[in-house]
Amino acid sequence: MLHTLILIAKLIRESALFALTSIVANKLRTVLTLLGITIGIFAIISVFSVVDSLERQIRESISALGDNVVYIKKWPWTFDTDLQWWQYANRPSPRLRELEEVQRRTGSVEAAAFLASTRRRVEYLTTSVESVSIAGVSADYDQVRNFSLHSGRYFSQTESSAGRNAIILGYDLAENLFPNTDPIGRSVKLFGHNMTVIGVFEKEGLGGFGDTHDDSAVIPIQTLAQFINVDQDRYGPFIMAKPHPGITNAELIDDLTGVMRSIRRLPPVAENNFSLNETSLLTEGFDELFAIITLAGWIIGGFSILVGGFGIANIMFVSVRERTSIIGIQKALGAKNYFILWQFLFEAVLLSLIGGIVGLLLVFGGTAIVVSVFEIDFLLSASNILLGVNVSIVIGLVAGFLPSWSASRMDPVVAIRSTA
Amino acid sequence: MIRVENVWKSFDEQPVLKDISLTFERGKTNLIIGKSGSGKNVLMKCLVGLLEADRGRIVYGDLDFSAMGYRQRRVIRKELGMLFQGAALFDSMSVTDNVMFPLSMFTTMSRKEKEMRAAFCLERVNLHGADHLQPSELSGGMKKRVAIARAISISPKYLFCDEPNSGLDPPTAILIDKLISEITEEFNITTVVNTHDMNSVMEIGDKVVYIYLGELWWVGSRHEILHTGNKELNDFVYATELMRTLKK
Repeated sequence: MLHTLILIAKLIRESALFALTSIVANKLRTVLTLLGITIGIFAIISVFSVVDSLERQIRESISALGDNVVYIKKWPWTFDTDLQWWQYANRPSPRLRELEEVQRRTGSVEAAAFLASTRRRVEYLTTSVESVSIAGVSADYDQVRNFSLHSGRYFSQTESSAGRNAIILGYDLAENLFPNTDPIGRSVKLFGHNMTVIGVFEKEGLGGFGDTHDDSAVIPIQTLAQFINVDQDRYGPFIMAKPHPGITNAELIDDLTGVMRSIRRLPPVAENNFSLNETSLLTEGFDELFAIITLAGWIIGGFSILVGGFGIANIMFVSVRERTSIIGIQKALGAKNYFILWQFLFEAVLLSLIGGIVGLLLVFGGTAIVVSVFEIDFLLSASNILLGVNVSIVIGLVAGFLPSWSASRMDPVVAIRSTA
Repeated sequence: MIRVENVWKSFDEQPVLKDISLTFERGKTNLIIGKSGSGKNVLMKCLVGLLEADRGRIVYGDLDFSAMGYRQRRVIRKELGMLFQGAALFDSMSVTDNVMFPLSMFTTMSRKEKEMRAAFCLERVNLHGADHLQPSELSGGMKKRVAIARAISISPKYLFCDEPNSGLDPPTAILIDKLISEITEEFNITTVVNTHDMNSVMEIGDKVVYIYLGELWWVGSRHEILHTGNKELNDFVYATELMRTLKK
């Protein structure tokens, strides 16, 4: 048994060396054949890498939003087909006073916050940034929304309730306004008033929903209310509610539904005129979306790889034809069928693998460029590398089998006649 | 020794070999000669098992080759050395790798052992120092010698040569013929050479077999062939003006 294994190992080595020599001897043909697989692997792994990166960013964003937080909004995140769009448009927006009612009347809510936003210019001395997203938030915003501060602190209870002129800047906004200066304690001008910078958010990067704090600023809702009517529709007001530990989202939604209907004095037969949105709804939606994109990736990349596979099969048939005499001599000198089969199969797999690796290198180069130019967290993962390598090997095996099998079954008389 | 007993072979019901019976002696250079299309190539392929005879037997020593299956024949195949027309070296391999190929296929020798054996065989065909060269760097005669070294690498009991000096100039062709003859005697091999070169016949033909229209027409030695009264053989032997002039 051991003797047989040693012999097989030696024959495989001999076959591999034979195949390698053939590939090196036909460089141009090898390169042209590789192109199909290279493009295929590049396409499929690029799509998967994009999907993976997007999925990771979106899940991180959802996680930042709080995976157990319920958003009370005018508009739903997923539309109910029974209602028409104008029925949603006619709904009232959540109001600031409703936040107080929610906090007071629900038993399941641990923390709730109100948020409304607008866009304004922010100035510091001679520097100004136009159209900055200014969010007014109520006191418990820090308990329902996950974020970290790079420096400074969050609003105190007094600053929130009294509507003091305090502001927390996003990381990029702070960098733009205070390029070489520590902004904490300094005053920026907003709505024509001085606001004291009390904190700077940690850099969050490009979020999947564009909900990053990086380019925005946050002030107490009572401060914002001094300049605009925060209950107005155009400022997109909404309430975020987070349940007590042990309370499920379903229980929280039941509780909030009852309380909101009561606050808005809706009769029993009336439809809700508010939407309770869960981040899990987004997750489910994105699961479906990513499944579709992944399928599309397989189909697009699959066709490219299929074409590459045909290319390899074609060139292997040519290779078998060209080497008919060599096959004949090998057989006459004692080569067994499986030696010939393995020799050509190895060559096909090697071709496909080289093509796949070049494709992976292109993806790697592409991700490096995207990361450096666009500053997007884009990554060629180990699992995608493994997938690319595996797909290459399988395509090489499938595409190379028929030519290799035909070579191994070749009649040595015919082969030797071609020698003569 | 190889015995051919009443061998018949047909293609599309057209007989190519008709009841051939003869013996190839051990330690001797046996030549099969005949015109193109006479059937000598088919006989050679039947001998090595590349074609199956329709009837009759081919016996290697005491073993009936014709009655053996593919696997059983491997025992005999290991003892067959083959020298192809045009040398047929593997262009992608060095001289040493070419000579080692049958060793890789038939033996479990280590690389070191194979290299030693290849060096010995190359030395024997006077190609010492050419081990690292590629076939493209060799002359026609050197290629033939590498092919002979490859054929004898597995220490064959039987050596089959198909037109061994085709494409070579006369002096080189004679060198190759002599080398085959020397090796045959030295290693006590049963050598069968398929040729239509009369120079080879006169140089190394210990036993000459003339095939005519698929039939065994004449058997004898190189000394006898010039004095035979067989008309068809004489037509073959004295086909050239040179031979006719020499006869006169």
